[in-house]
Amino acid sequence: MNGRLETATVPAGMTLLEFLRGRLCLVGTKEGCGIGECGACTVLLDGKPVTACLVLAVEADGGAVDTIEGEARDGELSALQKAFIEAGAIQCGFCTPGMIMSARGLLRRIPNPTDDEIVEAMAGNLCRCTGYEAILEAVRVAAQAKAVPHAGQMVAGQSAGGSGSQGGRLSSPRVPGEGGGRG
Amino acid sequence: MLGRFDYERPTNLAEAVRLFAETPSAAILAGGTDLLVELRSGRHAPRLLVDVKRVDGLRRLDVGPRGDLTIGAAVSLNELLEHAATRWSFPGLAQAAASIATYQLRNRATVTGNLCNASPAADLAPALLVLGAAVGVAGPRGARVIPVAEFFAGVKRTTLRRGEIATEVRIPAPEPELRSAFLKQQRLRGHDLAVANVAGALAPSTGTLRLAFGSCAPTPILLAPIETKGMSAVAVGAAAAAATLAAASPISDVRASAEYRRAVLPVLVRRVVAELLGGGAT
Ligand SMILES: Cc1cc2nc3c(=O)[nH]c(=O)nc-3n(C[C@H](O)[C@H](O)[C@H](O)COP(=O)(O)OP(=O)(O)OC[C@H]3O[C@@H](n4cnc5c(N)ncnc54)[C@H](O)[C@@H]3O)c2cc1C
Ligand code: FES
Ligand code: FES
Repeated sequence: MNGRLETATVPAGMTLLEFLRGRLCLVGTKEGCGIGECGACTVLLDGKPVTACLVLAVEADGGAVDTIEGEARDGELSALQKAFIEAGAIQCGFCTPGMIMSARGLLRRIPNPTDDEIVEAMAGNLCRCTGYEAILEAVRVAAQAKAVPHAGQMVAGQSAGGSGSQGGRLSSPRVPGEGGGRG
Repeated sequence: MLGRFDYERPTNLAEAVRLFAETPSAAILAGGTDLLVELRSGRHAPRLLVDVKRVDGLRRLDVGPRGDLTIGAAVSLNELLEHAATRWSFPGLAQAAASIATYQLRNRATVTGNLCNASPAADLAPALLVLGAAVGVAGPRGARVIPVAEFFAGVKRTTLRRGEIATEVRIPAPEPELRSAFLKQQRLRGHDLAVANVAGALAPSTGTLRLAFGSCAPTPILLAPIETKGMSAVAVGAAAAAATLAAASPISDVRASAEYRRAVLPVLVRRVVAELLGGGAT
């Protein structure tokens, strides 16, 4: 858990989100919808962004979990957090921890993402306050600032340079006519 | 809390089958993106969840010597999308996978779970139907293979028998130069199931076109193959749209009315045909 070992006995029906907030008092991770639709509960599980409301705590047994609480080090905000402030990508802040964890997952996989890759990675995080443009800009700024993950956050076998599978950088295929129904 | 149940994470298939078959009211847990929502709503209250993600062999994602593809039951949608051979050989399948939910959910959601959930709107279903895919199954009475075309029994019902676990999805070697495509109509991009979805695959050497659609009948539906040799793309599109409407029995629900589905389905079909055969879209 953010690089520290946590041992706990939990009921099988407890979600990872309930475990983080209720047991570990890591309340930075938020609950919005509880059913995978808003992204407020996004954390990294073994380096990959997931919605903690749709993961059981027991499924994370033996895994590495990174939350927003692991971003700042020694009282200093991460480059990603600073970029969100600089770009004006925060208002009420409810969506921000999830946004930052989605962005963290992206920058670990693809240090210099294209705009399409940023949109794909952030599309599962809803914000009711800011414009999304400021949020996308924050991720661009952080990527340019080479927001490399803190050493402690690195997952074994993973490098900041890519997923390691199939030679790393692969964006999803375009879906022809995606949203094409609009036409 | 999502309910009171036990959780097992077997690493061996025989053990997983035994646990699942012997426990009354057990459920298989793959990515959980459908199941955990069901548990939370209280619609489903199993006594045991058997997590199959650590079962040996279910993480496989292999291309066979002739280009056939095996996708183990623990393979996530993002893992499929990162697999270069899949994107290259089966672009329609990749388009369908990329259209599902959000990046975070695609890290959990499995290919096999999308079929096992048996939603009429499951986006991978039409994409796999047109490729002639099948589901590999392990159960208390041994292993068998069910073509995807025989996998759906109704809304949220499969032809899996009691105690059977789907172990993989198998896609046969593609015909030479096989083209495939997928289109989905949603109320908004991402975050929503399909109002209608259509997949097509065309084997240029034989001119045979396969089409399948979802969200417009109790199960996803595969049409009889359509011969396209010597026909214009427009003529094929018209014939395919008529065949699709004849096979559809859409209902009105929160996503769209039956009338809207009947109106949009032929549009998607004509666009898929135009993309596969070339020529102007309508
Ligand atoms: C916000 C949100 C958006 C979504 N958007 C889409 C979308 O756009 N398109 C779409 O098609 N779906 C969508 N879904 C549904 C879901 O994400 C997919 O169907 C997903 O592929 C299910 O896979 P899973 O591994 O998470 O299945 P699980 O939830 O683990 O399982 C689903 C069902 O299948 C059974 N099952 C799973 N694996 C097996 C197996 N190996 N053998 C036997 N039974 C098994 C389970 O018991 C359960 O009944 C969405 C879901 C959410 C929450
Ligand atoms: S609270 Fe998990 S996605 Fe909304
Ligand atoms: S800043 Fe308020 S929800 Fe995003």
